[in-house]
Amino acid sequence: MKTAFLCVAAGVAALLALPFLLSQGLLNAAVQMLIAALFATAYNLLCGQGGMLSFGHAAYFGVGAFATVHAMNAVGGAGLLPTPLLPVVGAVFGLLLGSIAGWFATQRTGTYFAMITLAIAELVHSLAPHLKGLFGGEAGVSSMRMPAWGFDFGSTTQVYYLTLGWALLCVALLYLYTRTPMGRLTFGLRENSHRLRFLGYDVHGLGTAVFAISAMFSGVAGGLQVMSNESANYVVFDPSLSAAVILNSYIGGVKMFLGPAFGAAIMTFFGYAVSDLTQSWLLYQGILFVLVMMFMPTGLAGLPGMVRRLVQRFGFAQVMPLVALSCGAALSLGAGGVFLVELLRRVFSQDYRAAIVAGNDWPAVTLLSRDWLPGSPITWLVPVALLAVGAALAWLARRRRAALEAAEAVDAAAPTALEADAIVKEGLA
Amino acid sequence: MDQFLVSLMNGLVYGLLLFMVSAGLTLIFGMMGVLNFAHASFYMLGAYFAYMLQDAIGFWGALVVSPLLVALVGVVVERFFLRRVHRYGHAHELLVTFGLSFIIAESVKLFFGNYPVDYRIPAALDIPAFSVGGAQYPAYRLLMGGIAVAMFVLIYLLLTRTRVGIVVRSAIYKPRMAEALGHNVPLVFMGVFGVGAALAGLAGAVAGAFYTTNPNMALELGVMVFVVVVVGGLGSLEGAMLASLLIGVITSLAVSVDRSLADLFALAGAGDWARSVGGLMTLKISSLSATIPFALMLLILLVRPGGLMGEKD
Repeated sequence: MKTAFLCVAAGVAALLALPFLLSQGLLNAAVQMLIAALFATAYNLLCGQGGMLSFGHAAYFGVGAFATVHAMNAVGGAGLLPTPLLPVVGAVFGLLLGSIAGWFATQRTGTYFAMITLAIAELVHSLAPHLKGLFGGEAGVSSMRMPAWGFDFGSTTQVYYLTLGWALLCVALLYLYTRTPMGRLTFGLRENSHRLRFLGYDVHGLGTAVFAISAMFSGVAGGLQVMSNESANYVVFDPSLSAAVILNSYIGGVKMFLGPAFGAAIMTFFGYAVSDLTQSWLLYQGILFVLVMMFMPTGLAGLPGMVRRLVQRFGFAQVMPLVALSCGAALSLGAGGVFLVELLRRVFSQDYRAAIVAGNDWPAVTLLSRDWLPGSPITWLVPVALLAVGAALAWLARRRRAALEAAEAVDAAAPTALEADAIVKEGLA
Repeated sequence: MDQFLVSLMNGLVYGLLLFMVSAGLTLIFGMMGVLNFAHASFYMLGAYFAYMLQDAIGFWGALVVSPLLVALVGVVVERFFLRRVHRYGHAHELLVTFGLSFIIAESVKLFFGNYPVDYRIPAALDIPAFSVGGAQYPAYRLLMGGIAVAMFVLIYLLLTRTRVGIVVRSAIYKPRMAEALGHNVPLVFMGVFGVGAALAGLAGAVAGAFYTTNPNMALELGVMVFVVVVVGGLGSLEGAMLASLLIGVITSLAVSVDRSLADLFALAGAGDWARSVGGLMTLKISSLSATIPFALMLLILLVRPGGLMGEKD
């Protein structure tokens, strides 16, 4: 507990110090990361903690965004509230729409729930372009941040601190929520809602409340986005935003409170960092998501915990080679995959197709500031070799793990009752 | 009147197309409990495979081979992705197919670019079938409808009249019992998944030539297919047919209705008030045609949660 507290304190201190360390462009990316992290944490309240898989969370984000932009423009452009308090408006409207949508959606569970959330989001998405008065049509609605409380909110640094303040406040509130009796009931909703009903709780009301709270914090995230961009467009209702929050949350790991925030932050950061280098970012994101779903149900944030448990079980010296092998495999497979995708992307691009002259050899493509001839076997051998090495390392890692487990099984051939209990618990963990 | 007739026929053909895609989806759901997010991606793959093969083996050849390739993709998805995560539950399977749909769409962009490709119906088929009120009605639309109807009849007969159909239906109804009686249920699952994918692929190969073949076609159709499957009742083939036609006709007819809610209020004498409210009240029905299916789906889920013809919950 103490180490966790120290980690969080160090993280907050680092976030506070960021404006002194980063350039303006990177600080802008940091603002986007904070917003994505807050959105993912709000989403996870519903999805990870409440066990309700929503495919349409962009609707609440978008409603928060538009509510905030209209609040900014209200009273002749002076703003309904002082600028730093404007996301409250986003929260209120997120809560409102969330209560209505949640009341509908939580009538059902599982796949039906997912379908209803999708339908509601699509309803809003298909309606938004036609309601020009509310959503501004193609051009969207733009606004200005008004000075308030002695700040002019003109610089990225001030916007960053405003976003950081709101994000920290909301994430802290969401964390405190999990400690309340209602927060514990939310977990109960995920684990066994039937039992909750037998115990006399109003499951539908609870589900609606959880949905509404999640939507409320999504609305805050939307509001922060608008305040940072000073404009809102109906594109925020696009299904790709709903998809992004799902991918981010699961890649980070929905079983841990900060997992989705972590996933959203790094995915947003990479999206920003590589957007100039590659157009395949969404492809990598999708592949990473499927890999995480297939092989690491705890997500990226669950990896340190997994290593810690292995160390406890087998000892440091035994586990380190395993970790090294796994890291090597991941790096090698990743490098091979990226190389292959980028090579294919270049060979199949329209410009390249147009440059081919019939009868001649295909011209070289540039990758990693080197020229590669698509006709030469070496070009294709590099990624294939990387992938093969990665696969071999992964196979070795698997074998090593199996050998460790077999050795342990021999050691534990005659365990006492207490030890057996511990082993079972470890196995379950 | 002629306009109405053309709209109606367009709606029916679009509905039949929706049915071709949703048939596989609803069968897969009924059997495995998995709502396959990647199903519309199979539709897109069908169109792209046909586009690729068209030059080599001709339009009709592509129409045959492309669904087979898509079936292969479907089998791989079932065998190597879904079966591995089956033990984590349906939500997990749904998410994996969701991720796969992402990967398929992005891969298509990688190989074919993020713009429509030039996949067209052959000139021999680009002829009018008959004319309605001076307007020519394309024969290809009739062909699309005909293929869908033939498919429905074929699947229906296969499921209700043959031995294979009995095994499949029993595997849908009580998988464990069917397995205990010595049927290879995983193989049946894989087969149905493959056939469902092939149907979607066929729909894509046929429709891609008529509408456009672009990397967003899966997303555009996919959401509509979910609506069809939920409205028709998850797992019901007849329900899917009914809902497809319903939604196809409604969206097609709504486009030509130049009325708004305010006109409805005007009947009760409150037209001026409604017009002054603006927003939703003055929105034309024609611009709502994309919204109506979702409203219908919400309505159905609230009034008749199992769908029009659904039995399983």
